[in-house]
Amino acid sequence: MNSIIKTIRTERIKLKRSPVWLAFFALPIISAFFGTFNYLNNLELLKSEWYSLWSQHSLFLCYFFMPALIGTYCSYLWRLEHTRHNWNSFLTAPVPIFALYLGKLVQAAIMIVLSNIWIFLLFYLCGRLSGIQSAFPVAALEWFVCGVIGGIVICCLQLLMSLVIRSFAVPIGIGLVGGIGGLLATSKGWGLNYPYSLYSMGMRANKPQMELDLMTFGIHAMGYIIVFIVLSVFYLHEHEMAAG
Amino acid sequence: MPTQNLIETTDLTKQYGKVICVNQLNMQVPQGAIYGFLGPNGAGKSTTLKMILGLAKPTNGSITLFDSPVNEKNRIKLLADTGSLIESPSYYGHLTGEENLRIIQTLKGCPEQDIAKVLKIVRLEDARKKQVNHYSLGMKQRLGLAAALLGFPKLLILDEPTNGLDPAGIQEMRELIRTLPSSYGITVVVSSHLLSEIDQMADHVGIIRKGELVYQNTLESLHSHAKQQIAIRVNHLPIAIDILHQRGIEPTQENDYLLLPMVDDAYVANLCQQLVSQNLSLYRVEKREKSLEDIFLSLTGKESSL
Repeated sequence: MNSIIKTIRTERIKLKRSPVWLAFFALPIISAFFGTFNYLNNLELLKSEWYSLWSQHSLFLCYFFMPALIGTYCSYLWRLEHTRHNWNSFLTAPVPIFALYLGKLVQAAIMIVLSNIWIFLLFYLCGRLSGIQSAFPVAALEWFVCGVIGGIVICCLQLLMSLVIRSFAVPIGIGLVGGIGGLLATSKGWGLNYPYSLYSMGMRANKPQMELDLMTFGIHAMGYIIVFIVLSVFYLHEHEMAAG
Repeated sequence: MPTQNLIETTDLTKQYGKVICVNQLNMQVPQGAIYGFLGPNGAGKSTTLKMILGLAKPTNGSITLFDSPVNEKNRIKLLADTGSLIESPSYYGHLTGEENLRIIQTLKGCPEQDIAKVLKIVRLEDARKKQVNHYSLGMKQRLGLAAALLGFPKLLILDEPTNGLDPAGIQEMRELIRTLPSSYGITVVVSSHLLSEIDQMADHVGIIRKGELVYQNTLESLHSHAKQQIAIRVNHLPIAIDILHQRGIEPTQENDYLLLPMVDDAYVANLCQQLVSQNLSLYRVEKREKSLEDIFLSLTGKESSL
């Protein structure tokens, strides 16, 4: 446990002055702008106030922006080690490999929580600025929590890819394509079998009234998280990362 | 004289595909030594050091560090007593020197005051708040050494620590490394492809060539291999050989020269007098030295880059 606390602390130091924060602020703003613009231009069709606004906000956000943003977080976290011979010092730290990995995952998960807070804050502000007077929906709390869980699933997958693929951009591209693919998977009803869909399903992207079996959702999410963590730690153990 | 070995490798072998990078290497690093690990570029130095640190897995053979086998079970315990600087220094450029050290200090769990101590040792106190991206190569190298020194480990493994440094930086790094065993009780393994470097730093030496350890002993012993000879060139060698035989000397002939074992000045003067008195024309009398460089080249092969 002590080792995990140490790695979480050191990963937080590494994120100081990180350019990734720019994407953290910018992408949800762009997404909220598009969503609100769409909402305001289709008021005659979108009459369910907060739910309608969320359907527009979440459409761009969950399928396009967030998978790419999570991909950027994860690529950045491993890029720190892929460059400047940092594998040498990273892997000679006297802590278990699992703790080294978990330090990254926890930081990525924290960024997802912060992103979601920022997203819902923007949603609230856009709603009020758009003239929605009704109370903020309580269901948004469930969207938030499920979104974070779904985001962590993508995070574990993207961390695995960015660990194996040393390029910064390629895993982000895969994340983007994966996110768009989530639109197709969810529409065909395969959402739970496609890790990238879990974020959009959790956030009820484009379908705020969608019923979600939380147990099934949770079991699938947990399954993906465990599999991707095991694969990542196994890769770190077995592959000679410092060999270049 | 140190007796216990801090590092011992037995038939250590590393193979990538069909290429054998390290071949049945038996390395012995005594406690308290500065062990110079010398070899041309690509000889297998970094691969060996990476295997000792657990960064690469041996194909065959074993490694013992502090009397414990290097394996997954002992990994954390062994790394806690080891500092290393492999290849180029590792650093996070967007962080300050101090923040970089804080990362290592946190992971090693050593006292926070160690950061100030190691910064002082490598003389980077004034640059501690500066982002490492703005450091010169020499400063980055010193930061790498500072990071390796954190926690003042029992063993320090430095792979080509003077690479890319200017002459003043090399001198400074060398001085620093030389003081580590006496000042902090640290055993140092330092690799280099430059003989002069090891000659000025180490007290033990291991020479690796194409993955094989071709020499391992004290530096003093390597020096004793360096031979001095007297070379004489005259117009008629057979007569000179006869004269030398009469004096009980068995010269070796090399081109137009006769090579004699090292003798004192008076003997040379007397010999020259005799040669001239026999009507020989004495063209040259030279002192020949088989330098450490020659020994190194003969051990590592002249075709290798130095």
